[in-house]
Amino acid sequence: MGRTGWSARLTAVILAAAVAVSLVTIARGAAAPVKNPDTFIELQFGDITSLDPALAYDIYSYEPVWPNVYETLIMYSGSSLDRFEPMLSTRVPTLANGGVSKDGLTYTFPVRQGVKFHDGSDMTVNDVVYSVRRFLLQDQAGGPAWLLLSPLLGVDSTRDDKGKIQVAWADVQRAVSASGDSVVFRLKKPFAPFLTIVAAWSSIMPQKWAAAHGDWDGQAGTWQKFNNPKTEDRYAFNHMNGTGPFMFESWDPQAKQVILVRNDHYWRKPAALRRVVIRTVTEFATARLQLQQGDADLIVRSLNQQSQLRGIPGTIMQDNLPQIALQTLQFNYKINTEANPDAGSGKLDGAGIPPDFFNDVHVRRGFAYAFDYSANLSGAYAGKGVIPHGPIPQGMLGFDPAVPIYQTNKDKAIAEFKEAFGGRVWSTGFKFTVPFTAGNTARQTGAQILRDTVTALNPKFQIDSRPVPASALNQLLFAHKGTMYFLGWFADYPDPHDFAQPFLAANGYFPTRGSYKNPEADRLIDQAVSTPDPATRKALYKQISMIAYNDLPYLFLVQPVTYYTMRSWVRGWYYNAIFPGQYFYPIYKQ
Amino acid sequence: MTAFVVRRLLLLPLVGLGVSGLIFLLLQFLTPAMRASLYIHDPKQLNALPDLIRKYHLDQPVYVQYWAWLVQVAHGDLGWSETAREPVADAIRGYFPATLELALYAFGFILVLGVWLGTQSAVHKDHVLDQVSRFTSISGASLPTFVWGLLLLMIFYGHFGWFPPGRLSLNADLYVRSGAFHPYTGLMTVDALLNGRLWLFWDAAKHLILPVATLTYYLTAVLVRITRSSMLETLRTDYVRTARAKGLAERVVVDKHARRNALIPVITLGSLLFVGLLSGVVITETVFNYPGIGQWGVEASQQLDIPAVTGFALIFAGLLVIGNLCADVMYAIVDPRIRLS
Amino acid sequence: MSAVHARPAALPAARRAKAVETGWQRTLRRFRSNPLSVLGAGLVAFFVVMALLAPFLAHPTERNPYMIPHSGYASDPRPPSPGHPFGTTEEQFDLFYGVVWGARTAFMVALSVVATAVAIALALGSVSGFYGGRADEIVMRVTDVFLAFPGLILTVVIVAVLGQSVRNAVIAIAVVEWPTYTRLLRGEFLRVRDMEYVQAARALGSGDLRVIARHMIPNAVYPLLILASLNMGGIVITFAALSFLGLGAPPGYADWGQLVSLSHNWIAGTAGDPFTYWYTLIVPGTAIFLFVLGWNLLGDAFRDIFDPRLQGSR
Repeated sequence: MGRTGWSARLTAVILAAAVAVSLVTIARGAAAPVKNPDTFIELQFGDITSLDPALAYDIYSYEPVWPNVYETLIMYSGSSLDRFEPMLSTRVPTLANGGVSKDGLTYTFPVRQGVKFHDGSDMTVNDVVYSVRRFLLQDQAGGPAWLLLSPLLGVDSTRDDKGKIQVAWADVQRAVSASGDSVVFRLKKPFAPFLTIVAAWSSIMPQKWAAAHGDWDGQAGTWQKFNNPKTEDRYAFNHMNGTGPFMFESWDPQAKQVILVRNDHYWRKPAALRRVVIRTVTEFATARLQLQQGDADLIVRSLNQQSQLRGIPGTIMQDNLPQIALQTLQFNYKINTEANPDAGSGKLDGAGIPPDFFNDVHVRRGFAYAFDYSANLSGAYAGKGVIPHGPIPQGMLGFDPAVPIYQTNKDKAIAEFKEAFGGRVWSTGFKFTVPFTAGNTARQTGAQILRDTVTALNPKFQIDSRPVPASALNQLLFAHKGTMYFLGWFADYPDPHDFAQPFLAANGYFPTRGSYKNPEADRLIDQAVSTPDPATRKALYKQISMIAYNDLPYLFLVQPVTYYTMRSWVRGWYYNAIFPGQYFYPIYKQ
Repeated sequence: MTAFVVRRLLLLPLVGLGVSGLIFLLLQFLTPAMRASLYIHDPKQLNALPDLIRKYHLDQPVYVQYWAWLVQVAHGDLGWSETAREPVADAIRGYFPATLELALYAFGFILVLGVWLGTQSAVHKDHVLDQVSRFTSISGASLPTFVWGLLLLMIFYGHFGWFPPGRLSLNADLYVRSGAFHPYTGLMTVDALLNGRLWLFWDAAKHLILPVATLTYYLTAVLVRITRSSMLETLRTDYVRTARAKGLAERVVVDKHARRNALIPVITLGSLLFVGLLSGVVITETVFNYPGIGQWGVEASQQLDIPAVTGFALIFAGLLVIGNLCADVMYAIVDPRIRLS
Repeated sequence: MSAVHARPAALPAARRAKAVETGWQRTLRRFRSNPLSVLGAGLVAFFVVMALLAPFLAHPTERNPYMIPHSGYASDPRPPSPGHPFGTTEEQFDLFYGVVWGARTAFMVALSVVATAVAIALALGSVSGFYGGRADEIVMRVTDVFLAFPGLILTVVIVAVLGQSVRNAVIAIAVVEWPTYTRLLRGEFLRVRDMEYVQAARALGSGDLRVIARHMIPNAVYPLLILASLNMGGIVITFAALSFLGLGAPPGYADWGQLVSLSHNWIAGTAGDPFTYWYTLIVPGTAIFLFVLGWNLLGDAFRDIFDPRLQGSR
């Protein structure tokens, strides 16, 4: 009797569980059975320009590269941005375990044994040394080499302004070398974000394979010939050979499609997916329809298309994913008014603006108080994001919500404009045009908001905006002809230095465009990057943020969030803000 | 005849020089910095512009760059296309068959439908068929291709799910790239049959139906109008009246005399239509994400990828010369009175 | 006819007047007799009125009346509602305003292109057709080179180089259209040049320019009119295509093609209903369609009536 009761109850429990599981399964996958169960298809809308880890510098090109086909010495732990775990190195160097020297100048990474490249060869410490040296010395114009050149060799480029080589082999040898089974990095100065740069930018490839296919052979005398290559000169441009969970199968630039296949000899457990297809589809309608039909598993689209992707049966939306990025509106302190219709007459006469118009802090403050930040966030970014407190984004060490922000205040704006140029701005007025990237609706809206809010203050204030194709905008910025312009910054690595430096250092990207400089900011930035202690750094970045607040070289508009829309049969996916795209290793379809 | 053909073929390099010269002339309007922008993708790379200008010799005078390009072409190298991420010649070789396939099917339908409808319309002028066909063809010529294309996509793919965008479905695409498939012509439908794979043929055809329908509608409308007016003119001419007066059956008059001569302007337009197709194909390829030369051409132009733009401008110019040549040869066949001088 | 019977007192004079129909009356009668021609004329007239009355139908609020006013910054289009009879596009541009002022843009663009092409054609075509020989050869080869380019690609290249603006798009389209006009004029000039009265005028010592202006151009007017009216619609479609590719009018400009291009992100509608944003496409699309239709019908009518080769054969 007892046994019958017990087994009956067990059966009932099992049955109930089975029913529950099947109900969940039915509810979840009610839409359709899994299409292409071992193949994952992602549709994005950017262009892949190169698959060479030393040359690829945009997120679309970098997605297949890292961490799917190539791997680095250490890896971000899950979704964390500041905790690492060992990858191709067997340990994350710290002060405690001696991997980092006391003076912060030497990093030692023991290289993992028994790892094979995709062509079957064994990975050795020489491959690691070669890969990093290659990354440093190829240094294609506009490429990512400066990320490691800066801490390791103290320069931003292997070439000087005239194009002559300015680094010596001896320095390179010293900076990156092998010591037994470890690779040793020697820095010029202490550099707090070094580990995080290595985590994202030290992809390892086999030396023999590269050399056999016309690439640098790793020797001292030959590297100069391989410096600053044209994209097409490298075999690695469209052939990949790494250690990652996926191998490169093909890249069809006409179909705009990259295909990866599973690496069955991966040094960890092989991936679940047998095949990954990454396709570029620019037309929104086709991408959405393919997701709807189940032909695509995940699509990447822009913020203003999000509302059309909600609620598609059989899909889920991963929403509000924080990004380490900032969208800004920038002032040009020294406008080149020669042949520059955007600056109008080039004089403060009501029909234009003079070259030093934005040099006056009252002018900048006037704009800062006039602009409607919440309308921009809700209109241009569909409310998806937060208003930044200066150049350090939320989620980064050094972010401090106590740093003040400029709130929309019409009276303060008027007061500031009345003080600008000794009152002449208010009495004579001005006229200029804001160029923005054609097709970028967020910036188009931002330009409209700028126009609407500022022109409402005084009828003599005239602002126009015009869309320009990317090449023309680059040309404008290069020639310092931009007046005010929208620029965004996406982190190369998740450290506050990657924001402070490009925004506020005199030789940073944006100050060189807008001619901003503040030696105090330079000093603080240098200090903050050389100190390993997080508390000290935090305090320093707070000071740096205050400089940004007071100097006001930019209006910090939005720190956006992003979203991905995927089929509900996608499992195992996780997000890390520093990933250029998806990490396909943990993903499976069910 | 042979001498004529050869002489016309000799025109090809001249036209090529003219077309490429025109493009390089347009370069005068571009600064080196704008052209160097082709190689960067984000304003953060702007500091590299001087380096890029130096690397690609963009600051040299235009005629020097043109000469360098000519020398390169003389060695059989059309240059590298940054937008296509491969040599220009490879890009053309890859994209062109896709567009050709699309254009050929559309052209076939357009020609057959257009000539037949136009002829019938002219012969039965002002009757119901004529009015209906005139109105349909005029309204077809009034609707922009992209509007029509988007509507078709919305209905037949979004709603019914029958005809997808692109050129091949994923499985077909993977099969085509595997070693088991031999591309003979580059035309997917033809190659599928030559490889004996019926399912692949159907897959490629499924993807072609909407783009072909989109292209066909507009250009058939145009051709019907032209054929009709041309036929009308011919049917009024003296020799046709004479044939009628002689008591010849109407059908004979139409088939033997009128149609032959009405075909002459149609042949001219046929060749112009072909080039017009290759132009109209641009929008269609964009809407349906069809990987052809039109889509690439627009992208290359927008990004100022000069080697690419010059490369396919040459192809189109060559096509036109050959098209005109074929038209002239066909004139001679259709009307024995025309002598090729 | 009934008017004649209603006025018996004026019968003899009226009957005499009726017996001789002027050329214009005959043209008008033939025009009126074809319903399609009437429809075409009606459509074109409708748009002419719309263009002329634009400031009254849709009151401009921006400094540049061609920039469509927008209320708010929300990115989703809104369906028709009071205040926005046709709804709004993304970024809240009013579709009604866009359609009304878009009529002005359409006329402005099409007429500018035709005027430019005709001007060039007059200059080059007259030289080519009148003088023949070497000049003719050169002009023909130049037109060959331009015609060797697929139209859309050439316009795209030109706009890409010159920069995106309405003015540059007009220039680009004119560059593509002028060869056709030139060839037509040249053909006509060749035909007329050898006519007796022209030869007589020349023999009498009339200056070349005078001969061209007085004799040759008037004879070329009709074919030119036919070509132009048939071309008007095509130009508007090309301009719309340029805007679709992001190379024509800037966003927010009152241009039908630009409005359609603003709709193309919303073509797929929302998850439940693919036709949610139908108005963003249908409203400007219909405007283009009717405009081009009107001109095509009108051009057809002109050709049926004015083509000298068809006259006298009914």
